[in-house]
Amino acid sequence: MDFSFIIVQVLSGLTMATVLFLVASGLTLIFGVVGLFNFAHGSFYMLGAYFAYQFISLMDINFWFGVCLAIVGTGVCGWVMEYFFLKRIYGRQEEGPYQILLTYSFILILDDLVKIIWGTDYKSISRPDIFMGTIPIGDWAIPSYYLFIIFLGMFIAGGIWFLLQRSNFGRIVRAISSDRTMVNALGINVNLFLTIVFAFATALGGLSGALAAPLRTVTPGAGIEIIIDSLIVVVIGGLGNFWGAWIAALIIGQVTAFGILLFPRWSILFIYIVMAGVLIIRPEGLLGEANKKG
Amino acid sequence: MALLVLSWEVVVALGAEKDIKIGCLFPTTGRAGRYGLDAMEAAKMAAEEINNKGGVLGKKIELLFTDEKPDPTFCVRVAKRYILEDKVNFLMGVVSSAVGLAVTEVSKEHKVIFVGTSHATTKTSVENWHPYYFRIGANTITGMRSGALFAEKKPWKKYYYIGPDYEYGQVQWTDFWPFLKKLRPDVEGVGESWPKLYEPDYTPYITAIMRGNPDVLVSGLWGGDTVAFIKQAEPYGLFNKMDYFHPDVGGNYEVFEALGEKMPKGLIMGTHHHLNWPDTDLNKEYVKKFRDKVGHYPITIGANSYVGVYFITKAIEEAGSVDNVEALVKAMEGIKIRTPLDPPGYTSWMRPLTHDIMQWRAIGVTEPNDKYPPAKYMLGKWIVFPPEKIIPSDKEVMELRTKRK
Repeated sequence: MDFSFIIVQVLSGLTMATVLFLVASGLTLIFGVVGLFNFAHGSFYMLGAYFAYQFISLMDINFWFGVCLAIVGTGVCGWVMEYFFLKRIYGRQEEGPYQILLTYSFILILDDLVKIIWGTDYKSISRPDIFMGTIPIGDWAIPSYYLFIIFLGMFIAGGIWFLLQRSNFGRIVRAISSDRTMVNALGINVNLFLTIVFAFATALGGLSGALAAPLRTVTPGAGIEIIIDSLIVVVIGGLGNFWGAWIAALIIGQVTAFGILLFPRWSILFIYIVMAGVLIIRPEGLLGEANKKG
Repeated sequence: MALLVLSWEVVVALGAEKDIKIGCLFPTTGRAGRYGLDAMEAAKMAAEEINNKGGVLGKKIELLFTDEKPDPTFCVRVAKRYILEDKVNFLMGVVSSAVGLAVTEVSKEHKVIFVGTSHATTKTSVENWHPYYFRIGANTITGMRSGALFAEKKPWKKYYYIGPDYEYGQVQWTDFWPFLKKLRPDVEGVGESWPKLYEPDYTPYITAIMRGNPDVLVSGLWGGDTVAFIKQAEPYGLFNKMDYFHPDVGGNYEVFEALGEKMPKGLIMGTHHHLNWPDTDLNKEYVKKFRDKVGHYPITIGANSYVGVYFITKAIEEAGSVDNVEALVKAMEGIKIRTPLDPPGYTSWMRPLTHDIMQWRAIGVTEPNDKYPPAKYMLGKWIVFPPEKIIPSDKEVMELRTKRK
């Protein structure tokens, strides 16, 4: 295996990991802070892709502006879902089953909504003009859009880290995550923060959908397809752990990229093997805290 | 007792007025939604045409639809409900091979004719065959054998295969490779890739394929997976380095529709029904009628359910009965029917041994063509294959059936 090909394959894995991470980070953030497992999170990835299609392909808006609108659009949908629906089940007895029912029903509702608005045919949008080209690596050529996605993913990971660890907003969010009642008692509007975090996390899902739209098929049902992989990432990383999701996504990306080369017949098995292995050795996930009380 | 006799008479009397009911199963949600909706619209179109002309034997055709999901257990329940509660005369449809294999057992058990229109597995008409099953559509054998006959004439030596890792993807390769090996012992397989169905990201597969450096990449993907693969492979320059050959369903219209200008030129693809082949009035009329009614062009399986409804109607006419199942089976086995898929001078017919409809396959090359918007490319430069060259022989069918027993 020549060296330039190894780099190419590592980059393939990194691109895959970045999109996975962007979806999974929102999922894990919601779990960590709001204490809710949002099955419908993948549907926000799908919504982001459809919004991008609407703005960029149909309304002919500039790619970057279109992506921003898609992020805002998805965030607003997330806000609506949290504020008008999820809020009603917080703190109920047996909240867990309600969460599953409600978030799962949102998958079906959003899928049908997308079908009614945009139809069932596959949609696609073009890559932005400045990233149409390729970058040579040895005998190979990597599409520059992939490298852009990788760098943007790192930038966003750093940005979220800064927001959570260094800003006042982040301090409150972390406090809510460890003791919601106490923060409430200190006179902070916890409900407002939960809504903001939820909208922010769904907007992240929307961003990943919008960025992936030029590369992937935009179709109803795309949400269910990505939620499984994201769930695996979140479980491997440790439920609710942001950096855990990042590391897990990187591992999944590389294991897939090189598994394909070494054992093509079994390529789709590897990520499940990794998950099973992690769960046996560290049931709480790579960076998860054991017996954490939410 | 008197009451019983009375109610029996009422049923008989009502029976004369009763519509002919066809219980359909098509996927209408999720990724395969477009398949089911187009199949539904095409079936409705055929039923309307027949009913507007006065129906068949004085009766109207009534279609019942349920979402296939695709879930075999669910569909078995629906098929039983159709038969026992709705009293349907026929079952029709089914896109997923797994569902087809399940529903055909219900048809066998209740002796209700099942006209399979869109599932590709060869098993329903060969290994799991029974007298009440008929297929209006293609199976993977005809698709892949036409592919092998096409490949025989090509200079390709090194082959790479990519296909989804489930029944359909695996069967395509086993239908193709041994058949081609017999025709061309000099060909060599240099690699295989087995992504999961609905894989969103093919990048690592694409680079692995390019590293294998084959002369041709044979693809067994379908629908949105084909779209995603082509979109992701194009920036890597995969299509400049090797030929792309996708004989079974690569040339599905929804792929051209989704990719528009981004469809590369020179890809070699086939599918069952093409919008622009054969160039007959019947095909042009079907395509135009569908487009005028629904607002977009029909994808490949639409034609199957359209023909399926006409096939059932013709069988009823020839059998002179809706209720005599044995007479219907006999009529169906001998049916000849002109369909939008028939080239000039050819008439589709039902093969009594397998109950598969005998139709041609056409393989073409992508070239600019904006006559079917929003597609900017369509297939052209056709190479066509008559059914007798691509179906399994009587001997092969019998061997497969005995192997199963």
